[in-house]
Amino acid sequence: MIRKSLALFLLAALMAPVAHAQSLDDVLAKHFQARGGLDKLKKLESVRLMGHMEVGPGLEAPVTMDRKRPAKQRMEFVFSGMTGVQAFDGTRGWGLMPFMGQTTAEAQPAEENQQTSEDADFDGPLVDPATKGITLALAGKEAVDGADAYKISVTHKSGRVEYFFIDAETYLIVKRSGKQMARGTEMETETAFGNYKEVNGLMFPCSMAVGAKGSDHSRTIVIDSIAVDVPMDDAHFAMPADTSKHATPPTKPEAAPKKKK
Amino acid sequence: MRLPNTPGLRACVAALSCLLLAVPAIADDWKFDSDMLEGLRARAIGTAVTSGRVSCIDGVAGDRLTLWVGTADGGVWLSKDGATTWKPVFDKQAMCIGAIRVSPADPKTVWVGTGETWVRNSVSVGGGIWRTTDGGDNWQMMGLEKTERIADIVVDPRHPDTVLVAATGALWNASPDRGVYRTRDGGKTWEKVLFVNDDTGAADIQMDPQDPNTLYASMWTFRRKPWDFNSGGPGSGLYKSTDGGTTWRRLSGGLPDGPLGRIGIAISPSRPNRVYASVEAKNTAFWRSDDCGEHWARLNDTSNSVTWRPFYFARVIADPKNIDRVYKCGLNLAVSDDAGKTFSGGGGSYHSDVHALWIDPRNPEWMILGCDGGVYVTQDRGATWRSIQNLPVAQFYHVSTDQAWPYNVYGGLQDNGSWMGPSRRSGGIPNRAWHNLNGGDGMWAFPDPKDADLVYTEYQGGELSRVRVSTGESKSIQPPRRDGEPRLRYNWNTPIHVSPAHDGTIYVGAQFLYRSHDRGDSWEKISPDLTTNDPLKEKQEESGGLSVDNSSAENNCTIYAIGESPKDRAVVWVGTDDGNLQVTRDGGKSWTNVTKHLPGLPPATWISYVDPSTFDAGTCYVTADGHMLGDMAPHVFVTKDFGATFTALGVADLKGYAHVVLQDVQNPLLLFVGTEHGLFCSLDGGGRWAQIHAGIPDVGVRDLCIQAREGDLAIATHGRGLFIIDDLSGLRALTPAVLERDAALLPSRPSALVIPSGEQRFDGDTDYLGESVSESAAIAYYLKKRHLIGDLRVEVLDPQGRVLQKLDAPKRRGLNRVEWAMRLKGPKIPPAANLVPNYFAFVGPRAAAGEYPVRLIRNRDTLTSTIRVVPDPRSTHSAEDRDAQVKLVNRLYGMLGDLSYTVGTLKGAGEQARATAGKLGAGDALGKRLTMWAVRLDALRGTLVALKEGRLTGEVRLREELGDLYGKVNGYDGRPTGSQEDAAARLGRDLDRAQAAAKVALGGERGTLNAALSGRKLAAIGLPTRAEFDAK
Repeated sequence: MIRKSLALFLLAALMAPVAHAQSLDDVLAKHFQARGGLDKLKKLESVRLMGHMEVGPGLEAPVTMDRKRPAKQRMEFVFSGMTGVQAFDGTRGWGLMPFMGQTTAEAQPAEENQQTSEDADFDGPLVDPATKGITLALAGKEAVDGADAYKISVTHKSGRVEYFFIDAETYLIVKRSGKQMARGTEMETETAFGNYKEVNGLMFPCSMAVGAKGSDHSRTIVIDSIAVDVPMDDAHFAMPADTSKHATPPTKPEAAPKKKK
Repeated sequence: MRLPNTPGLRACVAALSCLLLAVPAIADDWKFDSDMLEGLRARAIGTAVTSGRVSCIDGVAGDRLTLWVGTADGGVWLSKDGATTWKPVFDKQAMCIGAIRVSPADPKTVWVGTGETWVRNSVSVGGGIWRTTDGGDNWQMMGLEKTERIADIVVDPRHPDTVLVAATGALWNASPDRGVYRTRDGGKTWEKVLFVNDDTGAADIQMDPQDPNTLYASMWTFRRKPWDFNSGGPGSGLYKSTDGGTTWRRLSGGLPDGPLGRIGIAISPSRPNRVYASVEAKNTAFWRSDDCGEHWARLNDTSNSVTWRPFYFARVIADPKNIDRVYKCGLNLAVSDDAGKTFSGGGGSYHSDVHALWIDPRNPEWMILGCDGGVYVTQDRGATWRSIQNLPVAQFYHVSTDQAWPYNVYGGLQDNGSWMGPSRRSGGIPNRAWHNLNGGDGMWAFPDPKDADLVYTEYQGGELSRVRVSTGESKSIQPPRRDGEPRLRYNWNTPIHVSPAHDGTIYVGAQFLYRSHDRGDSWEKISPDLTTNDPLKEKQEESGGLSVDNSSAENNCTIYAIGESPKDRAVVWVGTDDGNLQVTRDGGKSWTNVTKHLPGLPPATWISYVDPSTFDAGTCYVTADGHMLGDMAPHVFVTKDFGATFTALGVADLKGYAHVVLQDVQNPLLLFVGTEHGLFCSLDGGGRWAQIHAGIPDVGVRDLCIQAREGDLAIATHGRGLFIIDDLSGLRALTPAVLERDAALLPSRPSALVIPSGEQRFDGDTDYLGESVSESAAIAYYLKKRHLIGDLRVEVLDPQGRVLQKLDAPKRRGLNRVEWAMRLKGPKIPPAANLVPNYFAFVGPRAAAGEYPVRLIRNRDTLTSTIRVVPDPRSTHSAEDRDAQVKLVNRLYGMLGDLSYTVGTLKGAGEQARATAGKLGAGDALGKRLTMWAVRLDALRGTLVALKEGRLTGEVRLREELGDLYGKVNGYDGRPTGSQEDAAARLGRDLDRAQAAAKVALGGERGTLNAALSGRKLAAIGLPTRAEFDAK
């Protein structure tokens, strides 16, 4: 169904007068339509994305990303047999990186937490911006990867500005760019989206390339499977008080089998 | 060293040639634009060791972190950390910067005036004034587009929308677009408030910090021609306004009556009635007024820093707090502590030729200096200086390459000598990888094709040397004037040419062409004077205007371009800086002037480049550059009949005057052009052009060179150092016919399995690191449209057709590249408390050398091709040694997988048992049995993997030993040691025992437990099959 409606929509879009100036509302309306409809998006309760992340040349990490309304997220990735976690429980971001012997989760620094809280918003800043204190503006058209895209500036309540680029043909998001704070330092990042696929009537990007602005070296995330409205307990997103018990199995000397000599 | 894959390379060339020959008729409406080339990547390799000319600096009072630097042709750079790191923030605007002014009312509002005012012979051009209000993230063009160059900007601190600009204006022609401009509405509208005549621009403007209505400006009559420079004339003078710039009055008050030249002004911030001025005149001197410019006293006319080259050094800066201290930029930074009477050179070490100085008004010990060698920082008022070596704004004139692997690049720089450096280096190309070859203003530098230890270098005015790299020994080999010959005229940027086909043969041009067959030890003159030999253009001893300035920069009627045909050594092309294009077809016995056959070219236009074709002796590409006569248009030509006729190639898509044209050495239709504003390419022999951005801003591209073996394009920019575009194979195959397809896999060069190497250093953040080439294999493809919906990926297969790797592939319209690390997937490693601390334990074994099928999957369409993987050309390992490594590393890779399965089943079974026991409750007997069994499984697992918590536990189990050995064998491409083979055998036995123990532990007891679980209608404890486990 979505394919048909999308095809009709694209046809209509192509037949529209080229010179027609788009307003922000026009672009957003077409964007939501292209994604499967605003109502449907708002009814979505949770989503689980599974795939893999390239963390360096020849280095792949299986990844699972869980997101739950209104603003919970958890990403797990497995590297060299070990599982790292980054999560946001709705108010607090935390992470557990066990690769160097760490066994307890760490809360995210306040400055980064603010941005994570903005990014964790389940619907994203393009949906109901006013209720979130977000200001959107259409900042013209720019070529992204060789094709025109509408550039929408997003000013968060915190004052942070980022940009969404919406493909002028399909009205899907092709790029998101902005500044991130890391250890007190400002870093400009870009995420390119691609390989959109339909799941339950909604379009999801299945390829994401995240990198520093202007750099050719991006970290790619490929999504192999998407499940929507998966039941997810809130505890799944909560920062564990002490994770050490999960890492060390109880051992009793008398229970250990003797090693063969 | 030659690549051992030459047959493969030849095969690629052959395939490409077939492709080119098989091109069917193409419709004329094929599309070609810059966006289609965004998939190319130009690597900036530096060097930053010399940095490059800095024209202006500004900062924020009391803010030690924020610094703005404007460069001669490398854009605007911003440091937010007190000169530790720098970022270009103006790359989409203009590269040639004249002035930067941070608004005193808001440090996020910054004005940038483009077009450098230090008008040396090689200076670039600007195009107006820009403003940011968000600290450099976004810029608005605010007008004055025609002013060409801007010397300074002042902002009224009371009304920050009131801004005055000193526009020096056009250098090479008369123009009304110069003088002092003022806006009162933040740049929306401008009024020209001070103008003298079309030949006189504004050279400086200063605002009284206590009374912003009081302004001083200097006007300067000047003009540059290819053969002459004039500074000074009746239009020059020092002006004052007391009404915010509405009206101006020329100051005299004791200043010289006669013609004046360039004037630099400074107002003492601590007592603004004191005004300093350096005034170029017949007797250039430093002056001071203590009554707001009404009366002047001549204080110093002896200091070199006061009198030396006023056109190039005219910045005067008063100390913010000490009324008697004043600085003068010059050959060195001079300082006077007695209000201008005497000057000293100050202290410390820094590059000469100082153009800019910023002093923190709140802390005058903290100063930032800009010069021909970049930026220097002092914290002790100039007693000592720190060189900033991570501002990559080097101004290369030319570039060449050698045949080493990796090959080296060579080139000369504006006032920073000649250098060589590696084209690639694992981990990046730091400044320390570059080697200085010669001094002065470096121009051409060529390695000898036969003896790479010898390099031909020069400095300005044809001072040619042959340098032995290993010892640094330098032999002057410039051809001298012989009996009966006139004075030799060597261009500032004298051409050297190395015969492409005949080792030891080199050329150099004065007004005559010289050729040597013995590396410059002896020369034969093989031409008459090939220039116009116009005596009116040979008066350099009179050049300079008020201050004679004969540095060889204005030498004219000289040879500027030389090219020997790769197809026929007897065919040599010569271009001259006064507009002659000459060719010989008999090795110099006779010459034909073919200038008149260049259609539409204005007379006397500088011939900037000749590029004889690799494919045909009669074909030559030519660029001509008339910017020094006021003609900013690009001119590109080709002849296919030895110059009898020329065709002007379409230049509508080019911008900026043209410096260089280069035909590819494999695809005759692929052309490159470098102009003052970027790099351009044509796929159809010059009909249509598109700019290659690829990370290169609109910087002057002065020279291009193709390293034929690698198929790389080396790019010399005059403001952002050297760039390399790796592997032109994809671009070569991007014919108009291919552009018409929806998608196409394109060829790529064989990929070397680069020997892994690294270096432990912790250099901090102040070191520049040039970008090295990726050590992965590149797979190139073309998409007619940007892909957004559905699958797009590239798969690499093994020779048996099994998928080795699925690669998420870029989706842009046009050329794309995706990289494959040439490794299998990383090994499966059992989970434990710590990583195995070896990078090579994370990654899979390397792919063996050979051919690999690749396919591009685009929704339902699949295209197939192959890529070739070859050993590192430097590798000393025999095929047998490499095979031994492949065998052992793959065996260990398999063992890690086996161990992971064993540990995974133990862990999984234990977790299931505990989970079931938990459901049964604490007192349940079956639950207790399950728990006890889980404890025994964990204990066995604890003998196989290190589970002890903590960061440096030192605990070693089978996993750690096996992972460590795998990593060590995986990190070396040659034969493993005998000890490693022994260790692998021992660990294999340990693994066998572990698997046997696990089989026992998971065997009988599990059956008994499962039977009991079945009786209680509970799920059995299951074990994944190996296939199921591996699929996770």
